[in-house]
Amino acid sequence: MPRPQTRTITLTIDGREVDAPENAMLVDAAKHGDVEIPVFCYEPKLGNPVGACRMCLVEIEGIGKLQTGCSTPVKDGMVVHTQTERVKEAQKSVVEFLLINHPLDCPVCDKGGECPLQDISFGWGGGISRFIEPKRHFVKPLELSPKIAIDRERCILCYRCVRFSQEISEDYQLVLLQRGAHSFVSTFDGHPYVAPFSGNIIELCPVGALTSRSYRFRARPWDIEDAGSVCTLCPAQCNVSLTVRDERVMRVLSREHSEVDDGWLCDRGRFAYPALAEGTGSNAGGDPTIEVREGNPAAGNGAVARGVRVGMRVSEPLLRDGGELRPVSWERALEEAAAGLKRAGAKTAALAGGGATNEEGFLLSRLMREALGSSDVDSRPGGALDLQLARELAAPSLQAKVSDLEFAHAVLVLDCEPIVDAPILDLRLRKGVRRHDMKLARASGDDLDALRDTARQLSQQGEELVILWGERFVAGRDGDERARALLDLAAELALGETDGAGLLEIPAASNGRGLRESGVLPNAGPGLSEPEAEGRDAPAIAAALAAGELSAVYLLEVDPLSASDPFAAGASADAGAGAAGNGTGAPAADSPWQDALERASTVVAHATLLSEGIAEHANVIFPAGSYAEKEGTVTHPDGRLQRVRQAVALAGSTRPGWQVIAELSQRLGVDLDVYNEKEASQQLFDAVSFYEGVTLEEIGGRGVRWQERVQAFATAGGGAGGTDSPAETPYSHGYTESAKADIQPTPSPAESEPNHQPYPSAQQHSGADTETHGADTDTEASDRDGPSSDPPGTEQRG
Amino acid sequence: MTPVPRLGDDARASGWDRSADPEKDPALIPDPATTDVPAQLRKAIEDAMARYPDSRSAAIPALHAAQELHGWCSPEAIEQVACVMQVTPAYLDSVASFYDMLENHPVGRHSVYVCTNISCSLRGADALLAAIGEAAADDADFNVRSFECLGACDIAPMASVDGVYVGPLSIDDVPQLLDDARSGRPVLPDKQLATRLVADPRANSQQFPPHAVEQGSSR
Amino acid sequence: MLLLKDIDEPGLNTLPVYEARGGYAALRKALEMTPADVLSELEASGLRGRGGAGFQMGKKVSFLPQGSMDKYLVCNADESEPGTFKDRELMQKNPHLLIEGIVIASYAAGADRSFIYIRGEYVLQADVLDAALAQAREAGYVGEQILGSDHSLSLVVHRGAGAYICGEETGLLDSLEGKRGNPRLKPPFPANQGLYQGPTLINNVETLSTVPAIMTMGAKQYAELGVQTSTGTKLVSISGHVQRPGNYEIELGIPAREIIYGLAGGPPVGSEIKCWFPGGSSAPVLTPDDLDVPYDFDSLAKAGSMLGSGAIIVVDDSTPIVELALKVAMFYRHESCGKCTPCREGTNWTVKMLQRIDSGEATPMDLDIMASVQDHIIGNCLCVLGDAMAMPIGSMIAKFRDEFEAHIEAARARAGLTLGSVPADEQALLAHGTS
Ligand SMILES: Cc1cc2nc3c(=O)[nH]c(=O)nc-3n(C[C@H](O)[C@H](O)[C@H](O)COP(=O)(O)O)c2cc1C
Ligand code: SF4
Ligand code: FES
Repeated sequence: MPRPQTRTITLTIDGREVDAPENAMLVDAAKHGDVEIPVFCYEPKLGNPVGACRMCLVEIEGIGKLQTGCSTPVKDGMVVHTQTERVKEAQKSVVEFLLINHPLDCPVCDKGGECPLQDISFGWGGGISRFIEPKRHFVKPLELSPKIAIDRERCILCYRCVRFSQEISEDYQLVLLQRGAHSFVSTFDGHPYVAPFSGNIIELCPVGALTSRSYRFRARPWDIEDAGSVCTLCPAQCNVSLTVRDERVMRVLSREHSEVDDGWLCDRGRFAYPALAEGTGSNAGGDPTIEVREGNPAAGNGAVARGVRVGMRVSEPLLRDGGELRPVSWERALEEAAAGLKRAGAKTAALAGGGATNEEGFLLSRLMREALGSSDVDSRPGGALDLQLARELAAPSLQAKVSDLEFAHAVLVLDCEPIVDAPILDLRLRKGVRRHDMKLARASGDDLDALRDTARQLSQQGEELVILWGERFVAGRDGDERARALLDLAAELALGETDGAGLLEIPAASNGRGLRESGVLPNAGPGLSEPEAEGRDAPAIAAALAAGELSAVYLLEVDPLSASDPFAAGASADAGAGAAGNGTGAPAADSPWQDALERASTVVAHATLLSEGIAEHANVIFPAGSYAEKEGTVTHPDGRLQRVRQAVALAGSTRPGWQVIAELSQRLGVDLDVYNEKEASQQLFDAVSFYEGVTLEEIGGRGVRWQERVQAFATAGGGAGGTDSPAETPYSHGYTESAKADIQPTPSPAESEPNHQPYPSAQQHSGADTETHGADTDTEASDRDGPSSDPPGTEQRG
Repeated sequence: MTPVPRLGDDARASGWDRSADPEKDPALIPDPATTDVPAQLRKAIEDAMARYPDSRSAAIPALHAAQELHGWCSPEAIEQVACVMQVTPAYLDSVASFYDMLENHPVGRHSVYVCTNISCSLRGADALLAAIGEAAADDADFNVRSFECLGACDIAPMASVDGVYVGPLSIDDVPQLLDDARSGRPVLPDKQLATRLVADPRANSQQFPPHAVEQGSSR
Repeated sequence: MLLLKDIDEPGLNTLPVYEARGGYAALRKALEMTPADVLSELEASGLRGRGGAGFQMGKKVSFLPQGSMDKYLVCNADESEPGTFKDRELMQKNPHLLIEGIVIASYAAGADRSFIYIRGEYVLQADVLDAALAQAREAGYVGEQILGSDHSLSLVVHRGAGAYICGEETGLLDSLEGKRGNPRLKPPFPANQGLYQGPTLINNVETLSTVPAIMTMGAKQYAELGVQTSTGTKLVSISGHVQRPGNYEIELGIPAREIIYGLAGGPPVGSEIKCWFPGGSSAPVLTPDDLDVPYDFDSLAKAGSMLGSGAIIVVDDSTPIVELALKVAMFYRHESCGKCTPCREGTNWTVKMLQRIDSGEATPMDLDIMASVQDHIIGNCLCVLGDAMAMPIGSMIAKFRDEFEAHIEAARARAGLTLGSVPADEQALLAHGTS
């Protein structure tokens, strides 16, 4: 589907000429001239404007009636007035109308201080109300769901929440009942609003009508700080803004990124965090419903010491002592771990998953390869894929972006369940179908012929076809064969040569792509380079441990016995091809990992939460930081390097992952030469050929797709794709692709300063149009705030 | 007399004043395997759906049919319609609660809509409504409501009794009106709109002999 | 005349009688012409919409895009404007006239699917239409390849469920799509993007029922009826304080007095007209001074009101203006869909203010507030339902301010308050409230 082309036009707002993209809505165009037109119901993320609240009335020359700026596309030469008496009077009257039934209970309202109604009343209202009649009253606040409270008195009937339910998540559970002044937002017959994305309505609500029950009365805007980061609870890696008060994350908000999450957040990402941070939840990779589990029958009585229970947050090192896990000092834990690993030496294996960063994965594989001489490291639950195939699958020309899912003519969903595996992508697909008439089909790797047929049929819709595939497609014994088939199909349909077409993989682990690119593979080094020695893949590691061929295992944010861990599912994928993927794993009981962990003499785990398998089998457990507690990079499934930023202090005595791994390595006789996070990142960037030259500043708050960097072109031939690999041509294509694929209005001088974020230096050399996302310049001084501050004026936040 | 929801200042549909029950499951599209829909209702809904390019257009006819069967748009009725139409019950509830003729509360079998809009009320509709309401107060079979203009101002004051328009009504007609409705007889046959001729002097000149144009009033 | 000719003829609602009176001849004639020629006839007739807005019908048809996409014709039979009952008469007594008009119009518009959205309260009329439609289908006037031509049309009678706003054309479309009847933002206009996103022609029952007559007599002759910018005849529903309420067909442009006094017999003996709504309750009221205004679109607009749906409601001097205003305001509050702010809150507020006036809790300053609230509604809403309350209420305050003030005074006296008994600062408070 051709993406909207934008032409820049000039209109006059309040006597000043303003350049804006043609057909942009007037309220958006006005921002280019620093004019703010107040809105309530307008939220472009929700689709076409509805023009309901009437807050945005402005005067347009040549049109008699005042017009709603939210629904008027700008045209060249339009003359707009937002400051005339008529406009002011109308806007004032709308505020007055909105407030007649509003309780004005701002002092006790959770929205106070960050409330658009408050702000707009202040900025555009008349200051007094002439309404002296009794207000409409509702019982308040009521539960709309276990997570959301509703205060109907405060509702201004802007329709945002119900539009979200109906047009974005398409669950159609939240509606307006009755009509006129008696309308109210509700569900059917007292049913709770429970849906995968329900929490977004809290952020959408421009007043305090919808509030988070867990955040209610926990903080006020002036108590809190915002910290931008990336949620690593699933591969979608949504950009989030963490609300921090007193070193605690009080809530998680979306930090809109049109190329990642489109401004939405799933309920797991939004509500699971506090449970995760405080250890009241299940495994980090767990299912969205957070439950408190008291102990675990599988772990058996006495397997853990008092006070140590499954599901709890690990915030200090634990050591198994006489069969029980007990808190110990770091020194003791490191010593024990080093001793165990040393004993096993090259008979050690390592798995990485969960929220492990690129740096952690990278250092872990260095530890394994350099200090222990083992290449038995893996991050693919379903087993290794032939390196050449892996490179071809990762070729830049073949990589679809998230936004391609929306604009493609068709998308084929192959062996993945977006709503489970990367929920936010489900919304993107719905958007494509709903707004751009994208055709959607599903296929399974079990029947390659049917897959090919479906793909060919879909390609009739138009050449832009995206295949969204799950890692489990290439898991198991037939993985290579299937990967070949997929590549052949991509070649046949020319997906590599077509803008907007391509492949997009949803890895099993949140940072699956990043860990692979960082070298956490048995058959590849950093940057998918040829390894010095080949090792065992995950299934082989399990078998070798069970057979006694391996004796130690390092589990970096992995618990292959926890039902929700991809490694648990991956194990069964090997047993039977095409088995369920992430989150829907087979019961851990009959897993090959049961034997493996039982037989292993040393199990070192690095964990945020104490999960079943670790609780039962680990000898040493290092506490791991949650994503809000660590620094590092992760790589989005489409190749976007993103920064995970530390928003709060590490829990308890937790130390940064990189530091623990480096320390262990030291004790095993190899100095990894990293002394802080930045050095860890630098080592990684230096080691991965196609990350070369990236800086943390360049990644900034918006991330950077390595395929789109000039450097990818410059260095790809040398390293990334390997030697004379066929990837070389596609890599160079990757560069040219980026130059033409991203259509963005060329920033006009007026736009680029002062309210336009300067492009990072690397981009300035290559021409502004190769970078589309206006990454923040992230300086040391503004370390914490850096990523969260959107480029003012260019992005609109709900 | 059942107050019209929304009309009074404090009348509202159920649900506005209670929390959602967290014990309940979310109200998704009902599963045909587990939702019982009476065969005749299913057929009525399916027939309606077949009439439109987009089956959702059948929402109102389908809700009408369900109301006929259940007496009102009860949660059960809505679930049944939702099941056949494969939409969420909330969607239908939202529609049902928008329209005056779809009832959100249990009501009597016989509907008496008394028009109380301008033309009827200029001719005594408010007193008529009060009289009917009073006369039917003890009869749970009646759903007496004031209604907005029913489009029959020529027979003001008037009422629609089980869908049949009658007027002009006087208070003396009330007992007979209720009696006819109760016993299933045609309601006030002489006063039914169906029998009325157009008030065009050329069309029915016997009833309304033409008058000379009066030459205005003094004001 | 044209529409009410033979209207009370027994059996006119059946096909044989209708055909015997020359029915469906206009359709045959139209199908022999090209759609473009039919369209030019409609344009030349000058026929203006009879549903309320008075937009030229032919022009509206011409706005529909050419081409072979799915196009729709929707007949607006929601007829809920207080005082209006003309469409009811046509549908009940001469349903084939409407069907014939729809088929001809659909031919001109290139629409192949059509709907009659009839208000749910009109049970009898919908039943009659359904029966007539079955006959028309049987006879080949509706359906595939009508009368051997290559024009096909499906027609469905869709019954609403009681909501005035569904008469507003875009609210009607949403309702017909099975949603709440909320009006849509315009543009896009229905002619470009209407029902199911397709180009849609929406016309009132009377408008469409006039089409066969235009085809029969020819646009030129039709346009000679009435006055230049308001051609043809119009059904007028007259009700309220008149001796002979009912539907009358008049030639546009005759003095209103002739309708109110001549046809409807004027107010009951012994009472005088206080005011009258010339075009349904949405039209600003006129006074006896305006009785000689010619009854046509432009003259009424010039007089500060509108022809609207052509429904005259006569109010005599026994009726307190406050009571009338309250009736009007309560109607619109009840019917406001709630989508846009000024209408939802403005109608609600106006009712509350009028109730205070009636109960003696208001001061004359409240009249200013009320008038300004009406000003804030007019022109600022998503559709014109809000204006439809604000304009008549505004006109009542403007024209009957003395009576309002007297009412306030009397009501306050009844409630034991006099204006003087409220301290000045409190008066100000009453008038302006607190923030
Ligand atoms: C609040 C409101 C109610 C309306 N109700 C009706 C109605 O009941 N019947 C009708 O024909 N037009 C009604 N209209 C006018 C329609 O919007 C539309 O203009 C008309 O159906 C077009 O047909 P016409 O051009 O043949 O008049 C209403 C308009 C508004 C704003
Ligand atoms: S609850 Fe909030 S988002 Fe929903 S309609 Fe009311 S004000 Fe808008
Ligand atoms: S923001 Fe434009 S109408 Fe609501």
